[in-house]
Amino acid sequence: MAMSDAPAEPPDRCEIAVVGGGIAGLSTALFLARAGRDVVLLDKGSPWGDSSGANAGTLSLQVKRTEMFEMGSTSIGLWAAFGTEMGIDVGFHQPGGLRVAESDEQIAFLREYGAEQEAVGFEFEWLEGNQLHDLAPWLGPEVRAATFCAADGYASPLIAGPSLIAGARKAGVRVISNAEVTGARTAKGGYRLSIGRRSLECEYLAIAAGGHSTKIAASLGVRLPLWVDCNMLTVTEPAPRIMDKVVTHIGGIMSLKQHVNGTVLIGGGWQGRGKFSRQTREIDPLAWVQNVGLGARIAPDLKTLRVNRAWAGYEAVTIDALPLLGRLPGLENAYVAAGARGGFHMGPGQGLVLSQLILEGETGLDISRFDPARFPQ
Amino acid sequence: MSKTDFDRRIATGLDRGEAFTFTFDGMAVTAYPGESVAAALIAHGRRKFRETLKRDMPRGLYCGMGVCWECIMVIDGRAAVRACMTVAEPGMKVETQHGLGPSPNTAPTEGSAS
Amino acid sequence: MNQADLAIVGAGPTGLSAALVAARAGLKVWVFDDNALPGGQYFRQLPKQFRKTRKTVYDKEHGRASELFTAIHHPNVTYLPNATVWENPDPGILAFAAGERSGRIEAKAILIACGASDRPVPFPGWTLPGVVTAGGLQNLVKGARVVPGERAVVAGNGPLLLVVAANLIRAGATVAAVAEAAPATARLWRNLPRLLQAPEIVKLAVNYRGLMAKAGVPYRCGETVIEARGTDELEEVVLAPIDTRGRLDRTKARTVACDTLVAGFGLNPSIEMYRLLGCDMSYNSYRGGWMPKRSDDLETSIPGIFAAGDGAGIGGVEFALIEGKLAGTVIARNLGALDERTAAIQAAPLRSRLERFRKFRVGLERVYAPPSTWTELATDDTIVCRCEDVSLGEIRAREAQGFTSAFAIKGSTRMSMGRCQGRNCLPTLAAHIAARDGIAVEQVAVPRGRPPARLVTIGDLLQEDLPAPVFPTDPHLPRGEEVI
Ligand SMILES: Cc1cc2nc3c(=O)[nH]c(=O)nc-3n(C[C@H](O)[C@H](O)[C@H](O)COP(=O)(O)OP(=O)(O)OC[C@H]3O[C@@H](n4cnc5c(N)ncnc54)[C@H](O)[C@@H]3O)c2cc1C
Ligand SMILES: Cc1cc2nc3c(=O)[nH]c(=O)nc-3n(C[C@H](O)[C@H](O)[C@H](O)COP(=O)(O)OP(=O)(O)OC[C@H]3O[C@@H](n4cnc5c(N)ncnc54)[C@H](O)[C@@H]3O)c2cc1C
Ligand code: FES
Repeated sequence: MAMSDAPAEPPDRCEIAVVGGGIAGLSTALFLARAGRDVVLLDKGSPWGDSSGANAGTLSLQVKRTEMFEMGSTSIGLWAAFGTEMGIDVGFHQPGGLRVAESDEQIAFLREYGAEQEAVGFEFEWLEGNQLHDLAPWLGPEVRAATFCAADGYASPLIAGPSLIAGARKAGVRVISNAEVTGARTAKGGYRLSIGRRSLECEYLAIAAGGHSTKIAASLGVRLPLWVDCNMLTVTEPAPRIMDKVVTHIGGIMSLKQHVNGTVLIGGGWQGRGKFSRQTREIDPLAWVQNVGLGARIAPDLKTLRVNRAWAGYEAVTIDALPLLGRLPGLENAYVAAGARGGFHMGPGQGLVLSQLILEGETGLDISRFDPARFPQ
Repeated sequence: MSKTDFDRRIATGLDRGEAFTFTFDGMAVTAYPGESVAAALIAHGRRKFRETLKRDMPRGLYCGMGVCWECIMVIDGRAAVRACMTVAEPGMKVETQHGLGPSPNTAPTEGSAS
Repeated sequence: MNQADLAIVGAGPTGLSAALVAARAGLKVWVFDDNALPGGQYFRQLPKQFRKTRKTVYDKEHGRASELFTAIHHPNVTYLPNATVWENPDPGILAFAAGERSGRIEAKAILIACGASDRPVPFPGWTLPGVVTAGGLQNLVKGARVVPGERAVVAGNGPLLLVVAANLIRAGATVAAVAEAAPATARLWRNLPRLLQAPEIVKLAVNYRGLMAKAGVPYRCGETVIEARGTDELEEVVLAPIDTRGRLDRTKARTVACDTLVAGFGLNPSIEMYRLLGCDMSYNSYRGGWMPKRSDDLETSIPGIFAAGDGAGIGGVEFALIEGKLAGTVIARNLGALDERTAAIQAAPLRSRLERFRKFRVGLERVYAPPSTWTELATDDTIVCRCEDVSLGEIRAREAQGFTSAFAIKGSTRMSMGRCQGRNCLPTLAAHIAARDGIAVEQVAVPRGRPPARLVTIGDLLQEDLPAPVFPTDPHLPRGEEVI
């Protein structure tokens, strides 16, 4: 969902330029501005108009790779802090999440996975049989076991987008729409960005342009290998409460949650039809019914609800499913945050890292595994 | 004026068959086979079908053809049923829908709407 | 998968007349309609259980209706009531939800005959119970023989107001006022030659006016409703004169007590199917806004996909019937069921009748052309999105924060995200932005329709026999293409 688009021209220069108005870019810009720095955020369309505006909003620690545990926890903390400490309502709720299993094989896998996660300090509860169905009587009979993680929750992309944009503006970020960065090169004391026929000089550059980050980095001679999935998402009519936890699935791909306004979001990363290179994205009607069907098997009350709309959007990821986060190889004061699996969840944490790198030259989080230089240049 | 003692059905040239009743918020309403819930309610001057979630505003029949969803009610315990598209049945339980309406049986009952 | 020569969406006058022609020519036809009974809006029927004891004024269309309804019993026709077509998953294929019969169909040709719905025009109080659309009133009377109140005001724009007023009078309701926004009467004489291209319709209108005169019901042109008032239900409406340039004179407003307001501001074609199919669209404000571009053969920009009736531009029942027949004929010819010559002979009188009605329609459009900005009646408190309860004031507040495009307003207010899928608010939003920015409505970019075309119940979707899904072995890894 595209968001703010107040007409404004980019300035000629600024201290820090953030490219991309998704969750990663907006978080970066917001944290920098709150620290008193001069920030311009550029978006090629309207901010929040790409992945961040199209996603399911799941914040689930237990579906992430163990390497992402620290980043994931930090991010959930920040999602909560937007509302409580920064006065920015992002529609954050933390009802806890269930990761469900149906078959013996899946139950075994869930245990194995759980053990791995426990090893990195992850806390969850093992639930099966009556215990599980007492906690979540709305689960279908085929769900036999689940891990429950109290930290899991969701944020509402629809609420978060406008709030973060307004919040960033209030903190002093100059948010510029319709400003596509078509290239970047090093200039005296920093970088010069081409924005159509105009240009912008900055000391620091933060690239958070989703799948488009690759192209921007390429103009600086840096290779950022990214792949782009085309995920489908479905929203039902607003309904009375039929479920009260965020649900994910260990075998099948699925995410399921009911928002406070009553709509249920059914997603999980089922692939639609689309090519990033051609900027096409449509639902795949067969996979879509399978996606909705899996949801209805897990929470059978869904069968009585009507589908309101469905769409597909892009999710940029790396080949090892870990983000490209940190300094661009071979360059000073130029950074990137892109390609995290579950990048909505991870957005605030990535923004924190970039802002710390720019403000202090270092970050307290261990980002060694995410170094953009890990892929051959 | 009591609302149930009049009938806004056009009588001329029509045999509607055997009348029956359903309940609307507990009160008996007369209907005829094949009639929609909306038509039967309106025939007896019952025009407020629901209150909205956000502002508690009263709403009733608007498009009469199933596309506006303004006429949704709780029918036999199920929320968001279009009164204009639903045929009345003897003994049916029709209720004003407040906001989203009631949850299905298996749903969490209290305090879980986080 | 089900197979057909021709799949028709909509069993109104358009769909049924097309089905009949095509089936008689030998095509295997499937007709889908989301109502329980065939007939669409114009031929909306009483419940099957009702028995007519004698002929009344409501039965004047009985002959045409019964001929049309033979379509659903034709051996070449498969008619699916309570069936919603929700997506065009692949070229030539439609997916439909119909309870246990839900599924998909592959057809050599597709006719979209989805009709129209009332154009939403928000004004203070328009959400009160007791305020119904013109179509809604017609459906109550035709489909149930029920009138919604005792004392009614009819207001808006267009010829349907006359039909509504006549129906209310016949039903014994008091019609306190009929307010037509356009200076229709004054324009009548100038356009009479065009209107007389369809004397049968002019005669109807004269009858309606006669009925109104006899009942002492005034028909005021150049007047519009500006407010509906009441606490839980409608109690009174405020009407105000409006000049030819759309300027309201609130000082001359009058208040009329009533329990029913029938608000009819014209119709908008139901275009969701075209949007899903990807047909090229054009804009014509007189015919209800967005509609598909069509060839003389009623074919859209996508070969094999045809559009006819109100859903392809508002024209009323006569257009619907002729276009339906023409579409049926052309499709039968294209698929080889009719030879060129027979098809041409069959189509010729239809085309000339269509020509005649087109001239009539131009006359009608000129008589009823509303002043351009007259629909800006909403105030900050007025609800503009009924489903999500969004007021104009909320939109303005977001605009002040920089959320100005239709997309940004949608995203920041939830406008158009409700069950009506934008039908009842996107036209308002487009008009609002056009007026704000001083551009034409058709230049406003609005969110595009998304599947499903109409709401479908998940349980219905799952009635289909589908292959079991294959899950990725590691869901973390990318499934899409590499960025180059
Ligand atoms: C259907 C779907 C469901 C998803 N569900 C979830 C989920 O439940 N949980 C989760 O954590 N993640 C989910 N994701 C993934 C998540 O949406 C993304 O990982 C995340 O939003 C990425 O945020 P971002 O800020 O990196 O990129 P984006 O949100 O894509 O933002 C990038 C911005 O950069 C701008 N831009 C691009 N190129 C340029 C340029 N050259 N110049 C200027 N601006 C430019 C774009 O316009 C865009 O606004 C889902 C994705 C999809 C599609
Ligand atoms: C509510 C209403 C009442 C009207 N009453 C009158 C009247 O009394 N007198 C008059 O002169 N004109 C009336 N009109 C004008 C009327 O539109 C035309 O005269 C005529 O009915 C148009 O015929 P059609 O076949 O093109 O469309 P319709 O008669 O509207 O038929 C279209 C049919 O397609 C169905 N449909 C649409 N989309 C789908 C889908 N995705 N899947 C399945 N089915 C679908 C609809 O439910 C409908 O049954 C009315 C219009 C409306 C909206
Ligand atoms: S009145 Fe519009 S859907 Fe029933």
